[in-house]
Amino acid sequence: MSHTDLPNGSHEPLLLEMRAITKRFPGVLALNEVNFDVRRGEVHALVGENGAGKSTLMKILSGVYIRDSGDVIFKGQHVNFTTPRQAQVAGITTIYQELNQVAQMSVTENIFLGSEIERGVLVDWPQMHRQARALLAKLHLDIDPRLPLSSLGVGQQQMVEVAKALHHRSDLIIMDEPTSALSVREIEDLFAIIRELKAQGVSIVYISHHLDEAFEITDRITVLRDGRHITTQPTGALNVDSLIRYMVGRDVSEQFPKEVVPRGPEVLRVENLTQGDRLRNISFTAYAGEVLGIAGLVGAGRTELMRAIFGADPIDSGRFYVDGRPVTIHSPRDAIRHGIGLLTEDRKQQGLVLKMTTRENITMSVLPRLTRGLLTSRRREAALAQRFIDNLAIKTPSQNQLVINLSGGTQQKVVLSKWMATEPRVLIFDEPTRGIDVGAKVEIYKLMNQLARQGVAILMVSSELPEIMGMSDRIMVIREGEVTGFINRADYPDTQALQEKIMEYATGSNKIVPETA
Amino acid sequence: MSDTAAVNVPPRAANRTGNLVRRVLVAMGPLIVLLVMVIFLWITAPAFRSPTSLMLIGLEAAAIGIVAAGQTFVILTGGIDLSVEAMVSFSGVVAAILIAGTSEAGGQIAHGIPAAAAILIALSAGAGVGLFQGLIITAFNMNPFIVTLGFRSILLGVSLVWTRGAGINIQKDSLLSFLTASFEVGSLKVPMPLVIAIIIYAIVWVILRHTKFGRYTYAIGGNETAAKLSGINVNLTKIFIYGISGLLASISGVLVMGRLQSGAYQNGTNMTLISVAAVVIGGTALSGGTGGIWGTLVGVFIIRVVDAGLVYLNVPSNAKEIVIGAIIVLAVGLDVIRRGEVKWLRFGRRAGT
Repeated sequence: MSHTDLPNGSHEPLLLEMRAITKRFPGVLALNEVNFDVRRGEVHALVGENGAGKSTLMKILSGVYIRDSGDVIFKGQHVNFTTPRQAQVAGITTIYQELNQVAQMSVTENIFLGSEIERGVLVDWPQMHRQARALLAKLHLDIDPRLPLSSLGVGQQQMVEVAKALHHRSDLIIMDEPTSALSVREIEDLFAIIRELKAQGVSIVYISHHLDEAFEITDRITVLRDGRHITTQPTGALNVDSLIRYMVGRDVSEQFPKEVVPRGPEVLRVENLTQGDRLRNISFTAYAGEVLGIAGLVGAGRTELMRAIFGADPIDSGRFYVDGRPVTIHSPRDAIRHGIGLLTEDRKQQGLVLKMTTRENITMSVLPRLTRGLLTSRRREAALAQRFIDNLAIKTPSQNQLVINLSGGTQQKVVLSKWMATEPRVLIFDEPTRGIDVGAKVEIYKLMNQLARQGVAILMVSSELPEIMGMSDRIMVIREGEVTGFINRADYPDTQALQEKIMEYATGSNKIVPETA
Repeated sequence: MSDTAAVNVPPRAANRTGNLVRRVLVAMGPLIVLLVMVIFLWITAPAFRSPTSLMLIGLEAAAIGIVAAGQTFVILTGGIDLSVEAMVSFSGVVAAILIAGTSEAGGQIAHGIPAAAAILIALSAGAGVGLFQGLIITAFNMNPFIVTLGFRSILLGVSLVWTRGAGINIQKDSLLSFLTASFEVGSLKVPMPLVIAIIIYAIVWVILRHTKFGRYTYAIGGNETAAKLSGINVNLTKIFIYGISGLLASISGVLVMGRLQSGAYQNGTNMTLISVAAVVIGGTALSGGTGGIWGTLVGVFIIRVVDAGLVYLNVPSNAKEIVIGAIIVLAVGLDVIRRGEVKWLRFGRRAGT
C-alpha cells in the first residue's frame, strides 16, 4: 500500500480545504455542499461516474467556474479565483486529459509559454533552455528541451506539462485522467514522477476511471456521486468492490458479466497479413460466438491490425477469409459488405458525426437498404432507429437528439447500433469502454454477450487487462507488429497467472507459438 | 446513469436564454433581416416596388442563386469552390461560340448549332470540369481552395483566349427566348430564370433531405473520418459534389449569357465571393456539416436586395463594392458568433458568474 510510504502520513497539515461547495447550472444542481480537502504531499484520488461532479469541483478550484456558495481555503487563506491564471499564480495547476500544448514549438517554449524570460526586448533563449533542462532533470527526464514537442511521445509530452507545473512552483497539481493515452511503461514513469513530486511536498489530485491506478498511487480516495460528497477514506481502507459500491450507489453484481457461448464455425480467417514494419505476417482465426481478446502494449500494432482488417489502411500482403471463402478488402465499404464492423477506439473523432442526430448516426451504414428508388424512406429509417433505441436502452430524449449531447456510454451504444444494423458476422471493438461509466460498461459487456449468442465473432482490443481477462474466450497477444501468443482463457483459471502469461507475451520474453485453437 | 449525465453541464449550454436567442438567430435571423429590409425599402423607396425593379432583383437572384445552390453542397462537405465565377463565364462562352458558330466577336451570326444542343454541350463541359476538379481534390488529397482557385484561372484564361477578350454575341432562338423571358402574374413580372432557380432549389432540398447522397454530404462535412469508416464512399460523393457545383454554375452561365445575348469572360464576375457569402449568411457553417439550402436562398435575396436598395437610396454605384465587402465580412462574423466562438459575444452566458 503506497500510502504507508508517506513519511508522516495523515498528520500533514491541510494544503487545501473546500467547504460546502455548491454550484448550480440552469436546471441541475451540479455540486451540493461538497467538502474536499488535500494535505501537503498527498496524492488524493477523486472518483465518481461521469456527471458525478468531479470536473466541476476541480474547475471551481482552478478558477474556470465560479461557485455559488461555499469556501475555498488554500494555504490557510480564503481564496476566490475567477480565472485559471489566478489559480496558477497561487500555485494550482491542472493537467488536462487533452493536453494544451503547441506541438510545433520546442519543449522550452511550451514550458515557458506565457512566462517567457526576456533580456530587454529579446527572449533569453540560453537562460530558458538552462532552466528547462533543470526542471526536466528534477523529474529525472533526459529530454533535450530544444526538440519540438511533437517529436516526443504522448507520455513525455505529459511530463513536459508536469515540468511546466513545477516551473510555476505549483503546490497542487490536478491530473485529469492522466493515463488515458499512456502505455503501461509510461504509466509507471508517471507514477515514479508522482512519488517524486510527493517527496518534494507537492500535492496531487488524481482523477481517473482506472480504479486500480487509484489504489496503486493514492493516499486517500474521495467519492462523489450525483454532485454529493459520498465518502473520503484512506486508500488502504477501501477495496475495488466497496469503492464501486460507493460510486454507483448500489451493488454491481459483476464487473464482467461474461457468458461463455459454445464456439461455432470459423467466421474470419486472416493469413500472413503484413503492412510495412507495423504488422508482420499475422495469422489468426475468429469463430462464431467467440470473443477474441487482442492484448499488447500501446504501439504494438493492435489498432493498426484492426484497421487493416477493416480496410481502413492498405496492406502489403495477406489474405482474408469470411466463412471460409476468400474475400478482398480494400476499403471499409468492402469490409462492411463482407460483414465486418469496427467500433473505433475514438468514438468522437472516428465513430460518430457529432452534429448529426441519433437516428442519422444509427442508420449511417445502411442507408442504401432504406432507400426506395431515389429517396430514403423516413418511416423505415425511424422504425429501424427506434428498434435499436429500445433494444439497447439508448438513453436519448428523442431520435432527433444530436449525439453530441449524449453521454459517453450512450454514444457508444449509438455506434454499436450503427454496426448491429449492418448485421455483421464479425464485430471489432477497439477499446470498447474507454471513458465510460462503470454501469454503462456492464451494459456494453452484456451486449457483447448477446452478439456472441447470435453467432457474431467478436474481436476486442483493449489496453485494460482486467477487461481482456474478464471478457475474452481466447486472447491473442501482439508485440511489435507480430503475434507472440494465443491463450485460452479456460486454461488459466487463476487471474494472476493469466496476467503474467499475457505480460510475458506482450513484453517479448517468449518465442512465437502456434495458434491454440 | 442518464439522470446524472446532465449534471456536468458545460458552460456553453449553461444559459438557456442565451441558447434560445442564438437558436432563433440561427433559424430565423437571416429571414427577419430580409423582411425588415424589404419592408423598409417598400415604404421609403417607391421605385423599389415597381414590377420591373422586382423582376430585375429576381433575375439577378436567380443567376447568383443557382451558383450558390452548388456552393452550398460544396461548403456543406467542408470544401469550397472558387471556380464558380469562371465556370459561369466559361459555360456562357462555350454555348455562345456554338450557337454563333464562330469565335469572332460581334458577328451576330446564327450559323452555329441549335441552342438546345449548344446548351447541352456547355452544361456537360461545366459538369465535366467540376467532376475533374473533384477527382483531383480526392485522388491527390489536395486542398479544394487551391485546386478550385487554379481552375478559376484556367477557365477564365480559356474563356479569354477563345473570345480574344471580347463578347461573343448571339441571337436568341425560341428556346433561349423562352428560358430568359418573363411572364406576368397579376401585376408582377416573373422571370423564367427565377422559376428555374426555384425548381433547382426544390430539387436540391429533396436531395439534401431525402436521399442518401444528401445524408452523406452532411456526414462528410460533420466528420469525414467517421463517414469513411461507416462505409460511405467519401471520395465518390465529393467528386459528384464538385460536379454538381460545376453543373449548376454552368446552368447559371447559360442563362446569364442568354439574357445578355453575349458570352464573355466577365459574365461571372464577383459571383464566387457573393455565392460564398450567400451560403454563409444563410446559416451554413464554413466548416461544413450544418446548414441547408433554404438559408442560402434567403442569403442570396439579402445580397440582391441590399444591392438594389443601395441604388434606390442613391448610394453611388462606385461605393457598392464597399458595401458588398462589408456584407461578406459581416457574414463570416455571423458564422463565428453563431457557433459561439466569440467569447465576449456569448449573449450574457457568463452573466452573474
